[in-house]
Amino acid sequence: MTAPILSISGLTTAFKVDSEWRDVVRDVSFSIAARETVAVVGESGSGKSVTAMSIMRLLGPNARSTGNIEFEGHDLLSLPAKEMQAIRGNRIGMIFQEPMTSLNPVLKIGDQITEVLMQHKGLNHTAAMTEAARLLDKVRIPSAKARLNEYPMSFSGGMRQRVVIAIALACEPRLLIADEPTTALDVTIQAQILELIKTLQREEGMSVLFITHDMGVVAEISDRTVVMYRGEVVETDTTKHIFRDAAHPYTRALLSAVPQLGSMIGEPRPLRFPIVDMATGEVQPVPRTADTVRMDAEPILKVDKLVTRFPVRKGILRRTVGNIHAVEDVSFALRAGETLSLVGESGCGKSTTGRSIIRLTDMTSGTVEIGGRNVARAGKGELADIRRNAQMIFQDPYESLNPRIRIGDAIAEPMIAHGLLNGAQARQRVGSLLEQVGLSPSMADRFPHEFSGGQRQRVCIARALALDPKLIVADEAVSALDVSIKAQVINLMLDLQEQLGLGYLFISHDMAVVERISHRVAVMYMGEIVEIGPRHAVFENPAHAYTRKLMAAVPIADPERRRVRHISNDEIRSPYHNAGYLPSEHFYREVGEQHFVLVDSLETAA
Amino acid sequence: MSSYLLSRLFQTVVTLFVMSVLVFVGLYMVGNPVDVLLSPMATPAERLEIIRAFGLDRPVWEQYLVFVSNALQGDLGNSFIFNQPARHLILQRLPATLELAFTALAMGLVLGIPLGIWAGLKPDSFASKSVMAFSILGFSLPTFWIGLVMIMVFSVQLGWLPASGRGDTVDLFGVPVSFLSLDGWSHLLLPAFNLALFKISLIIRLTRAGVMEVMQLDFVRFARAKGISEKRILRVHVLKNTLIPLITVIGLELGSLIAFAVVTETIFAWPGMGKLIIDAISVLDRPVILAYLMITVVMFSVINLLVDILYSIVDPRVRFEGGSR
Repeated sequence: MTAPILSISGLTTAFKVDSEWRDVVRDVSFSIAARETVAVVGESGSGKSVTAMSIMRLLGPNARSTGNIEFEGHDLLSLPAKEMQAIRGNRIGMIFQEPMTSLNPVLKIGDQITEVLMQHKGLNHTAAMTEAARLLDKVRIPSAKARLNEYPMSFSGGMRQRVVIAIALACEPRLLIADEPTTALDVTIQAQILELIKTLQREEGMSVLFITHDMGVVAEISDRTVVMYRGEVVETDTTKHIFRDAAHPYTRALLSAVPQLGSMIGEPRPLRFPIVDMATGEVQPVPRTADTVRMDAEPILKVDKLVTRFPVRKGILRRTVGNIHAVEDVSFALRAGETLSLVGESGCGKSTTGRSIIRLTDMTSGTVEIGGRNVARAGKGELADIRRNAQMIFQDPYESLNPRIRIGDAIAEPMIAHGLLNGAQARQRVGSLLEQVGLSPSMADRFPHEFSGGQRQRVCIARALALDPKLIVADEAVSALDVSIKAQVINLMLDLQEQLGLGYLFISHDMAVVERISHRVAVMYMGEIVEIGPRHAVFENPAHAYTRKLMAAVPIADPERRRVRHISNDEIRSPYHNAGYLPSEHFYREVGEQHFVLVDSLETAA
Repeated sequence: MSSYLLSRLFQTVVTLFVMSVLVFVGLYMVGNPVDVLLSPMATPAERLEIIRAFGLDRPVWEQYLVFVSNALQGDLGNSFIFNQPARHLILQRLPATLELAFTALAMGLVLGIPLGIWAGLKPDSFASKSVMAFSILGFSLPTFWIGLVMIMVFSVQLGWLPASGRGDTVDLFGVPVSFLSLDGWSHLLLPAFNLALFKISLIIRLTRAGVMEVMQLDFVRFARAKGISEKRILRVHVLKNTLIPLITVIGLELGSLIAFAVVTETIFAWPGMGKLIIDAISVLDRPVILAYLMITVVMFSVINLLVDILYSIVDPRVRFEGGSR
């Protein structure tokens, strides 16, 4: 091994909280060799981002770092501010998670690139502009030169992240620190960006410090991996070794909670995640799921030719000039005890479908029946009745609970609002609901801020269960949770399905989670279902080109299965059409038992 | 753009219409100007003649129609008191008020923005806290009281500055202005600062809040990670984003500076529109009041339009809204 480019030893970073210093990162040591990619992985609060910020000395005055960070013969922690500034953006480039907010919205892209070149390389404006165009070209942004004069808002998220990468690499740094650079992106865009970073690393011969919570991304990109837990490094090893034979119990627990795409081959039903004790690393066996799907009964949810469009209005008269075809001719049915997943990337209409079903968004046409009752035509009273049978769980457990209402009252609210139970009965029921979702009844008096994210999502589930629904629409219900918490909540959802025979409409962008939890899967793209069928059929024999593209893009949490991918630089298309646009009729071809795929309009024409 | 301008023009016309109706009806209900104007000794015959001369014998809707048709030809009526065209009276006083308002605005910007930035960058320092304390005073003390205190201190006790009037004026393109002569400045300083005090406080607070908010944003962190100097981060990245909300408020405040300089003008006997309108109200000189309000509405609309245009220059996101996809 060559001499390390960056070596950190004994790094401790503390934050001042109420005039008291609290350690957030304790005694962190690791190093990065030339041309090496090191991933720092951990869940929220593990201190991985703080470590990165400490290296760049970007933490404000209420933070202090001690220890030693050696980079190109300098100790970064004791460097004068002026010299540190000359290293930032010049010798070490950094990119952040949110491409939407990393760029200044009121400055042209060109100015944001050239300012780095002018600062560090002393180029004049003309030379810097030429160089900036070359950089944009390098990160594969089409018609680079013209786009220098545009503002960030005319770039998509993926394109913005490319611009950010171009800026970070402008001065040919020796080290690139990437702090969750793909977390906010869709999976096909994520694959593009990961591929880009890999290619650029090869071309430039730089080292990469990659910070992520996603084990799939780690397996995909890194040579070595540093696992952090509660501010400390628990394990450092080659990525292959960590995935094959992790030494620390936490690492093992983390890995067992990571759903792997393709791990469900041959499994007939959804599978619980194994529970690993974080302290001992012992694996507790989990029961297999029972067959919960009620094939004999009528479906609890029938969706037929559902269409939801949002008009786009312009001008003084607010004339409708076009429509966003959010959901276009979507049909499916869901049985009690069954999980149907709607999977797709942002803007594909999966959430709108979920919202239209329980009429949180009004549908344009089509019919939705829940428990045999028509949702679209229901009056106010009937709609309330229908909604007793169909509840929704949302993505963000922080925002879907009112911070000023005790969680017991939040759970009791639907029961009291529907006039089902009086106060005392409701309290009792709240207690048993809390127990059912794995919390204690004594927590009913607490406020939402006293709970962690995972606990809050359990509270949301308890609230959804309060009315004994038959159907739960879970809109990205586990997407915001940390891996280990996500596994627990999914296990809980599977338990509840077994006990209560719930039907889940599980809306998610995460293919691996979907594979784990679903009986059937519908893949959505541009408002349409492009493929629907039993889980094993869709995952093992994807019939539609988009499904295959989506699956190829998912990073697999297994470094042995790293693939060489040919990734197109396509953007996700927008489902906007001018007014008067008539979508062509949808035809599906049966490619297997209950497995249907959308026939492309080109095919039907032929 | 042209459809946007058209809709703005339409809005202005509607506002003018509503305003004129309100003022007409309101003044009609308040009282008869003839009672105020005429000496108690006047005979009923004289009284009737005056009423007829002013057109006050006709029903109110007819009076209104006459007013509108005249106004459309640019005639806002003659003042009952001065027997001069009301428009002429107002435009005569306008430069003085504009000068006062713009000087106050300039003071607000020149003092308010730097102080606000400073307070926003170091929110915990003693200096920053003093600036904030000052701004609270500027907000909460009534303008007229501060005006009086300023006269007491600077004119009466120290004798540095004159207490009232406009002093020497120099004609600039035919318009008399004070700011080109030393004497003019000495007269302008106190009233302008008095009028500016509230704006300074407001701009300090807005700028401080804006700077504190923008400093936390991701792109500032990213700019630091790029190795950009703090000076440039502040000047380019932070300031431009802070200006966006500031422009809207400043635009609105400029309108109110012009329209409501009344108090300051009264205290410092500044010969502007404010003083004219106060006098006009006290004698129910309806043409002057109407003309004043009409001109104010037009001025507000123009200022708002300019603000919107300025806004779209500073914030590209506004420009693209409603643009082609």
